[in-house]
Amino acid sequence: MISTGMFGIDDMLGGGIPEGSRVLYSLEPGVDGQLFMISTLLGVLEKGQSCLVIIPHTTVDAFLHDINQLRGKTVRPKETRLVFLDSVDRERIQRSTAGREAAEREWEARIHKLCTDNKVEVIFGYFDMIYEDFGLDKGLSLLSKASCPAGSTIIIELLNFERDRFLESLATRKSFDLIVAIKSSFRPLPHFNYFTILYTSWSTNLRRSVPFLVKNGHIVPYIPKIVVTGPPESGKSRFVANATELGMSIDRTGVSGAMTTVAMDFGWLHWQDFDITLYGTPGQPRFDPMLPVILNNSMGVVLLMDATNHEQLARARYLYKIITRMHVPIIIAANKKDLPGVMSDEEIRKGIGVGKTIPVYLISAHKKEDVRAVLESLVDSITQFIY
Amino acid sequence: MYSYKTGIPQIDQATGGFDAGTNLLILAPSLSFAEQLAYSLTRPLPGEYAIMLSTNERASEVIDQFKSGGADKHFVGVIDAITKSSTPAVSDTERFMFVTNPTDLTGIGIKFSHMIEAIFDGTFSGEETGLFPPPVRFCINSVSTLLMYRKLEVLYQFLHVMTAKLKKIEGLGVYILNNEAFDEKTISLIKQLMTIVIEVKMEQSDNYFRVMGIRDVNPDWHKFTIVKGQVVLSL
Repeated sequence: MISTGMFGIDDMLGGGIPEGSRVLYSLEPGVDGQLFMISTLLGVLEKGQSCLVIIPHTTVDAFLHDINQLRGKTVRPKETRLVFLDSVDRERIQRSTAGREAAEREWEARIHKLCTDNKVEVIFGYFDMIYEDFGLDKGLSLLSKASCPAGSTIIIELLNFERDRFLESLATRKSFDLIVAIKSSFRPLPHFNYFTILYTSWSTNLRRSVPFLVKNGHIVPYIPKIVVTGPPESGKSRFVANATELGMSIDRTGVSGAMTTVAMDFGWLHWQDFDITLYGTPGQPRFDPMLPVILNNSMGVVLLMDATNHEQLARARYLYKIITRMHVPIIIAANKKDLPGVMSDEEIRKGIGVGKTIPVYLISAHKKEDVRAVLESLVDSITQFIY
Repeated sequence: MYSYKTGIPQIDQATGGFDAGTNLLILAPSLSFAEQLAYSLTRPLPGEYAIMLSTNERASEVIDQFKSGGADKHFVGVIDAITKSSTPAVSDTERFMFVTNPTDLTGIGIKFSHMIEAIFDGTFSGEETGLFPPPVRFCINSVSTLLMYRKLEVLYQFLHVMTAKLKKIEGLGVYILNNEAFDEKTISLIKQLMTIVIEVKMEQSDNYFRVMGIRDVNPDWHKFTIVKGQVVLSL
């Protein structure tokens, strides 16, 4: 297996990229996705594998400086098994050949020679200029398993102006073993980046969309906001405190003598290679004007209720109506399962008015494993959600 | 909705300025005042930001041009597609970013996004202007150079993305295209992406412009010159 060089993504792919695969990193214009290719390149170099990097849009020096700037890492081609075809080579080929077919043959010959002379195992190709010079089919054939050494892995980055339909056609044609689409969106957050594993030749169930941050030169999958809401005294503060590594709540003593949240709960955790932030809403109806503010830009919502308290169903139903307007994944967590008089799954669904597509978990917010099971399910729903 | 003042009384008085999300093409022959006109339209007023994608001048020269027009350089960002080819080790800063050459549309798109994010986050100039979304004037100087490096179809798609982004962030886009260097098909394709077209012509060393695409603005030719970065109309 070849590592993508990115935490979490190897796991999602079942350990990494099988050797001998052809991989496409498709970048939507403007998305901060250069590190996908560079992380994989650095991962391969660290393993001591021999690489050919094709960069027709830039020079070797500028490319290496970019890596240094992005990752703070100096790559010295002489100290690694790294060879290049760069923009200078492209210009030479353009000047020395007459016509497109001759240029294509020259590229093919140069790739072949560099691969053979250097026993290249992994080829990294920045495809934009090749695509423009030779078209899709001819360009892809230059970087195909037929043109490159047997068993070599080919990794291609493309600036994709043609959107998902184009990528789907590549998947249908089985042009690649792995297609990762890297995109940005203004919703649910401004300047929100995410990647989608669109296709793998080795699994049919891998389609996932994962938001990411670029942090210290690394791709970090993250979920900027999960909101926990529910009726008063359903256990939201306990849930947030038990789910997170750093959790706090702004509470005061309520009329019943118990503590009640008067602003919000907040917690942060790094879990399953995700950075996740949790926000808990106050449950009292008098704080309802705050709900849209806290729910704004959330990527998933846990609706928590007391499974032993039938009186909470009406309030939970009201809150459910509000959160369904957000069009984000929702999970119902029915707390206090260890107390007598717990309602059944069916009673809860009927009482709140949720269908079978929304998961309902009976939990005890005191038990970390219960809380984590709810989070795991929600994270799973978030990563499969189409933005 | 925010209005971008142009400094041209005929336009500002008739319309109050360009609407947020406007994309404006300056069609002009070589050696005309098109570039100065673009600088004038892109110069950030107090509370605004400007980003210039420069395929013809180095970042330092771009900043000098803005400063000579009275702009505060702390609110100007430059994506320089010139310097890195001769100085590969030049490093990006918050306000100066570099791509190797104008072929690198991936790099240009990413640097643009970085600058916009920094502006939205309030980290671009060290101080926030207080307006949200922050008003951003963006200029490509020039589309003509980009067309020399990339095919029309690719550049059209790239400009399609950029103009859409400018609309989304409620910015103002200014694009310069030499109308003598390209055929009608190229010009009309690029025009399709624009809201307004300003045509510039030269007659006996005098510069004239006319504005097309704004209902309340007279589409006649106006003689103009640029003084200290400001458009001055000659009567």
